[in-house]
Amino acid sequence: MPEASSLPLRVAVVDDEPLARAVLCEFLSAEPNVEVVAQCANGFEAVKAVSELTPDLLLLDVQMPKLDGFEVLDLVGRDVAVVFTTAYDQYALRAFEVHAVDYLLKPVSAERLSEALARVRERLDRGERSASAGTRAGAMAAAGREGYAHRVLVRDGPRVHVIPVDKIDYVQAQDDYVCFRSEGKDYLKEQTLGEVETSLDPAAFVRIHRSYLLNLARLVRVDQDERENRVAVLTDGRRLPVSRAGYTRLNSLL
Amino acid sequence: MHPILARLERLAGYLALWGAVGVFESAVLTQQGLTWPEALVQVLPPLLVYSFVCLSAWYVCRATPLATSGVPRVLTASIVAAWVGAALWLALNEAWLATLESMPQVTPIIPRFRTQIPFLFAVSVMLYLLVLSVHYVVLSFEAFRTAERQQLELQVLNRDAELRALRAQVDPHFLYNCLNSISALTGSDAAAARRMCLLLAEFLRTTLRVSMQQSITMAEELSLAERFLSIEQVRFGARLQVEQSIDENALECQVPPLVLQPLLENAVGHGIAGMVDGGTIRLDVVRRGDRLSITVENPRDPDAVPRKRGGVGLENVRKRLAVVFGGAARMDAAASPTGFRVAIDLPSTVDA
Repeated sequence: MPEASSLPLRVAVVDDEPLARAVLCEFLSAEPNVEVVAQCANGFEAVKAVSELTPDLLLLDVQMPKLDGFEVLDLVGRDVAVVFTTAYDQYALRAFEVHAVDYLLKPVSAERLSEALARVRERLDRGERSASAGTRAGAMAAAGREGYAHRVLVRDGPRVHVIPVDKIDYVQAQDDYVCFRSEGKDYLKEQTLGEVETSLDPAAFVRIHRSYLLNLARLVRVDQDERENRVAVLTDGRRLPVSRAGYTRLNSLL
Repeated sequence: MHPILARLERLAGYLALWGAVGVFESAVLTQQGLTWPEALVQVLPPLLVYSFVCLSAWYVCRATPLATSGVPRVLTASIVAAWVGAALWLALNEAWLATLESMPQVTPIIPRFRTQIPFLFAVSVMLYLLVLSVHYVVLSFEAFRTAERQQLELQVLNRDAELRALRAQVDPHFLYNCLNSISALTGSDAAAARRMCLLLAEFLRTTLRVSMQQSITMAEELSLAERFLSIEQVRFGARLQVEQSIDENALECQVPPLVLQPLLENAVGHGIAGMVDGGTIRLDVVRRGDRLSITVENPRDPDAVPRKRGGVGLENVRKRLAVVFGGAARMDAAASPTGFRVAIDLPSTVDA
């Protein structure tokens, strides 16, 4: 009988290829004290599974439709340990930068999978989730890989909102969160404004204020109010404060 | 640059030949009572100047190349140039000999020169024409060598393209994923695993074999494509559907090996693999008269982030078509938000 300290490890297997999931499940079924709680064929399903089933571990493929493995980690990395499985070795460095627990190359061997599981258990015993700074590292890795982000992903429980960057009006810092304003809606994400700023194209987004990052395409003009404070007027009429440093940055771009 | 003026040793050789002509002419004059110095001083200077005049034959050759100019044109140009050259030579002689006539220590040959003008004219025309034909020989020799070098370069390019195509063809990640599928099947369906092994072996063997060849039949290329798609269908299951329409008359056409393959790989990797529910790849092969057209169409996810790695395989195909067919083949790629289409149009040659 398992002791209290070794509760079953609850695993979700995420891969768009049924056979790739099958071989992992086969290996997992031979492992003691492991339970496969979900099999997901894409990133959206994975995020949903994390929200609803709270697994301990995601075995996560990198190249998948809709959301790739790194984007999934960016969204759920705080809640679950992640082990990547892929045929590509070029993602390994990035995987460890975003604090994946392990990185398995396909074809996967049962022994290598056992090692990865042991590593996950060790971490869980120490009370750590995979990516304590998952979001941060994910955003930074996202910025570092292929130029600037094309889209922003925001998790809303089991759902994922995909916001193309050109649909963002501005981003506002709110305590531990940032708020993306897009098409009349606000999306909250646990991240700092500085991290968002580095992931977006600096030619399109300007930090006009400590708390605001503005999409230049939304700017109509800069007004001055009665107390000499500068205010950015957006295409929808909204007014955002502009700091002195922000005004300098704006001027250098316009 | 003029081939004789370009190198000092060639110019020296050329002038030595002309010098020999001058010495021969002087020797004839010494038989007629002149001393050697008297003969040489009157003969050599105009002759050496004329040797440079004859170098102008190079430009005549360049202006009327044998390969592209008709016989009448070449003859007209040569004769006109030779006449002008000869007339110039006579004028040079006349001027030089008249200058020397007043010098007391020289026995003038100008009276004899004047009586022999028609004969001398004919000789100088012949000399000019001789130089002209030597230039033509040199030119054709150089053209031949250039053609030979280009032929070699083309062969090297071809070989290089084949190797690169081969490397691009058997993408190691394709292999790893295949092996992972086989590994999965061995646990659940040993017979299917065996089928996959055989498919993969066949695919690799055929790829290696055809990539060594200059051209293969469309039928061979299609059977290779079929194996590739069967393997990918094991991986992607129902997500990968294929519709094809193949013109029977196209099967015997010769095509460079592995032109269709990268198109399908692209369609799977950048199209189907990015779609949650997959889609259908459409393949059309049509032969119309002396043209063969190959078209591959695939759907893709409009929201997908464009991948950077795309296009290497397609670019390879485009380069190879250019090497093999020059301007006679073309490849067009058209992307829309929901799909991708690549069309190759090439001459339909059939092996005799």
